[in-house]
Amino acid sequence: MRSSDALKLAVRAYRLMAYVTGSMLVLLVFVCVPLRYLGHDAGPAQVVGAAHGVLYIIYLVVAFAMTRLVRMKTASVGTIIVLLAGILPVLTFVVERWVTRTYIAPALAAGGPAASEQPVLR
Amino acid sequence: MPAGKPRPRWWFVITPRWLAWHAFAVLAAWGMLWLGDWQFHRAEGGNALSWAYTFEWPVFTIFGVVFWAKTIVDEWRSPGGAVSSPGGPTLATSGLAADPQLPAAAHTPATSDVFDEADDPELAAYNSYLAGLSIGQQHGRFAGGPPGGTQPTAG
Repeated sequence: MRSSDALKLAVRAYRLMAYVTGSMLVLLVFVCVPLRYLGHDAGPAQVVGAAHGVLYIIYLVVAFAMTRLVRMKTASVGTIIVLLAGILPVLTFVVERWVTRTYIAPALAAGGPAASEQPVLR
Repeated sequence: MPAGKPRPRWWFVITPRWLAWHAFAVLAAWGMLWLGDWQFHRAEGGNALSWAYTFEWPVFTIFGVVFWAKTIVDEWRSPGGAVSSPGGPTLATSGLAADPQLPAAAHTPATSDVFDEADDPELAAYNSYLAGLSIGQQHGRFAGGPPGGTQPTAG
């Protein structure tokens, strides 16, 4: 597998997990937790909470692989924010956009076979 | 400080910022194991869902330890940056320039002798590629890098 293919795969996996994990956390914090303390129904919070825990483990692995492939510095605030975004509500969505703009787009432009002069910035 | 012998390469590991990082890593690992133990007792007490967390917390702990080790290995391999090439800004470090780096070691930017390019052909190839890019950058333009002039601002 070429390194640019690995990069694209890692980015795709990272985006998928960022959105799935982020959505699950939003569901947990904004629906299930109010249900638990206002509606006195602890069931959904427990199930969604445990599911988010499992998803976050996958997110950690996938996101860490991505940070290495786009050559973010390991011991940097940026990398740590990417990893911790999965446990802070809504942050995965914001961080995904920031990482795309700052690291992924330049890395894809540099490593991709069809390197264009102007990478697409969002 | 007096300009005596150059410090050994591993010296960054015991600089204050890195010592703080080590302390945080130990504390975090201990805390996560403690939480796992707590969930284990809850699980034994009949809370079935706590079994999930009983296994999740050790996994987080392992990940944390691996991450901590990787920060040291990466800093050892390329002091001060993600990937550095001899002379000039690199693709990765130019993106990181504005990034407040956490345990920024008290090192000068890498020079060519820091790398063991000989035993890593991929790294050597990437470095020569980056060197080519930085030469192109000095002349104002090159194809396929970040857009000229618009340095990505982190944070």
